[in-house]
Amino acid sequence: MKSPAKFWLTRIVSVVLAIVGAFAAQGAIDGMKNSFVALLFVLAGLYVTLAVSLNLINGITGQFSMGHAAFYMIGAYTAALITKLAWKSQMNPMAWVLLMIVAGAITAALAGLLVGIPSLRLRGDYLAVVTLGFGEIVKIIAKNQEVLGKAYGMNNPLKYQSIFLVVLLAILCIAVCRNLLKTAHGLSFLAVREDEIASAAMGVNLTKVKVSAFVLGSAFAGAAGALYSHGLAFVSPESFSMDMSFLIVTMVVLGGTGSITGTSIAAIVLFLIPEKLRDLSNVKMGMIVGIGIALIITVALIKRAQDHYHKSSPPKAVVVIGLTIAGIMLAAGLGAGLANIPGLAAEVAGSKLRTVLLAVTLVVLMLLRPQGIFGHHEFSWSWVQKVLGKKNVPNVEVAA
Amino acid sequence: MLGAIYALIALGYTMVYGVLKLINFAHGEVFMLGAYGALLASWWMGHGPNGQAQQGSWLVLGIMLLTAMATSGGFGLLIERFAYRPIRNYPRIASLITAIGLSLLFQYGGQIFLLEGKFQAIDGKVMPASLEGDLKFDIKGKNLALLDEAKKLRPELKEAAAAFDEQLKSETSRFQLSPKGTELRDARDKIDRQIKDLENEANNGAVSISISKAKLLMFGTTLVLMVGLTYLVMFTKPGRAMRAVSLDFNAASLMGINVNKIVSLTFFIGSVLAGAGAMMWATFISGNKIDTFMGMAPGVKAFVAAVLGGIGNIPGAVLGGLLMGVSENLVDWAGYDGYRDAIAFIILILVLLVKPGGLLGSNKVDKV
Repeated sequence: MKSPAKFWLTRIVSVVLAIVGAFAAQGAIDGMKNSFVALLFVLAGLYVTLAVSLNLINGITGQFSMGHAAFYMIGAYTAALITKLAWKSQMNPMAWVLLMIVAGAITAALAGLLVGIPSLRLRGDYLAVVTLGFGEIVKIIAKNQEVLGKAYGMNNPLKYQSIFLVVLLAILCIAVCRNLLKTAHGLSFLAVREDEIASAAMGVNLTKVKVSAFVLGSAFAGAAGALYSHGLAFVSPESFSMDMSFLIVTMVVLGGTGSITGTSIAAIVLFLIPEKLRDLSNVKMGMIVGIGIALIITVALIKRAQDHYHKSSPPKAVVVIGLTIAGIMLAAGLGAGLANIPGLAAEVAGSKLRTVLLAVTLVVLMLLRPQGIFGHHEFSWSWVQKVLGKKNVPNVEVAA
Repeated sequence: MLGAIYALIALGYTMVYGVLKLINFAHGEVFMLGAYGALLASWWMGHGPNGQAQQGSWLVLGIMLLTAMATSGGFGLLIERFAYRPIRNYPRIASLITAIGLSLLFQYGGQIFLLEGKFQAIDGKVMPASLEGDLKFDIKGKNLALLDEAKKLRPELKEAAAAFDEQLKSETSRFQLSPKGTELRDARDKIDRQIKDLENEANNGAVSISISKAKLLMFGTTLVLMVGLTYLVMFTKPGRAMRAVSLDFNAASLMGINVNKIVSLTFFIGSVLAGAGAMMWATFISGNKIDTFMGMAPGVKAFVAAVLGGIGNIPGAVLGGLLMGVSENLVDWAGYDGYRDAIAFIILILVLLVKPGGLLGSNKVDKV
């Protein structure tokens, strides 16, 4: 048990570090004078917030929600609508954006309450479909309302792109989730994920846990939405499609359901890789076919090794890594070889491969490592200390 | 009629859920692939985008249907074998995510491999000439007495018109008639109006229903397929095995049922039905374009239909599908066509809140 003084000291230092870090990020990005990089940074930060907040619902509480884009959208539209109605140019933009973040969070939290209550009766696949449906309904309503600009969307009169706020929101979201997990409240969230009936029998208030997970998760998504709406100064129903919800779910699953570290890293990687792939050069059809065949063979072999390999030497991990390397070589060889076959020489625009790659990643990951890359593990300083060779470190890693 | 298609797709969802307790989100994409199968078959038989537009025949339709069913069935088997079977023992979320991944893979991967960009729809000419047009049923005939009366007035009209024409010859200008000319013209117009009024009244009294013949054929095919399915599930050995697996997966395998084979068979049948639905959807409902995303909306609606009827329940899926189609048309008819796609989800949420087991389903109690 730490002493209270030390506890508060770490808290204050963390908060100061977070604010300084956010300012530093703002300064660094502003210094580059590249508005595209700034935009990418803002969006990546927002995706981190979204993924971590969905992780609270999906990974930590085990309520499979696939409508996270809807909460994001509600936050964005709230901010745009209120700003359109009430914004006066003599007001302080920073204070207004902060106010809008709160407003977006509140409306999204109310929506989260609306979805959280039915979730008491549903579990698993059904809940997934209801949340998916909720996302679509929200989108369709926005498409049919005159005041929300119908299918075109609406402008937000105040364009205010603040990296500082984005970073701070992401850090706040991560901190809230992490601190929640370290308390007794967090344990009841985890218990609900592991077994609802058993945890109810142990005295966990299922209603309270599920609804608070939904409200908290959607409030963060709504706050992120408000920042999005001010950052881009434009919102349209099409930018919050089902694909976006799927992308956020992929981030959570890829990073490791329940792992905040994994989710954050996966969010950044999964957001940036498709952006990089936008300017991928054209690919020959043969190459795609070759890589596809190699991928199927490799995945099948690795799967077989995982399931049926029981010898002690060489260790299983070595076999898997060896197969992976062999697979990459096979892919390179087949890709280069088949590209020369005239029948498969048609060119395919590289940008079309973005979502395909996402889908392939998802399927392969589920086949080979369904618990996600990080599994349930978290980054922690004691782990760093262990890696650096320090002995007798207490294991404080959260078993999330 | 749309409901019939939804019912066919919903059967696939419900059967797979029955045996595996898995929502096969890639089912909509299986439907899409079936439509492509039908499209390619129709092109191959000379109904391509630039093909000679000869009139189709029943044979062409039959081949298209079979190709669509085979394509869908084949892909259903592949998906089951290579994506779902390896992870059958993992938590359910894993297979759900695999399903979403597969669905995205087919949607976007299809854009690379399937013919892109062009306007793609099955040529309306593949239908034999006898299938075109509407079938009309008269419920209440026209009022013949009124028509007779109108007929009797015809000679009068002729006379009046002739008199007016006669007068016209002596007029200097057609547009500046003398008083007598105006009188004659008014007389003629009055009789003309009388006849038209009578005829309108006679026609408005009639009630008739017209249904396009193609849609009737669609409905008929669906019925035949469903009867076949019922026979298969209720009266054959594989059908009994299927029901056993659905009841208790492990006990069935202990009783000597080859569970893997039955699961494959279930996927195959469900996909074949989706393929048949896809071919009819693309051919008989005019204005349905084919693209790689076409499976999404009907897939989701069919899923709702399956849940509405009670997922895992075969008659329930049919009922749910028909209700789904009707409610969608009602929303259209009420003038809220913007909300057409939302109605599915609204129904879904209401059903799950009020009666989670569905209309014909039963609630199960979970045990620790």
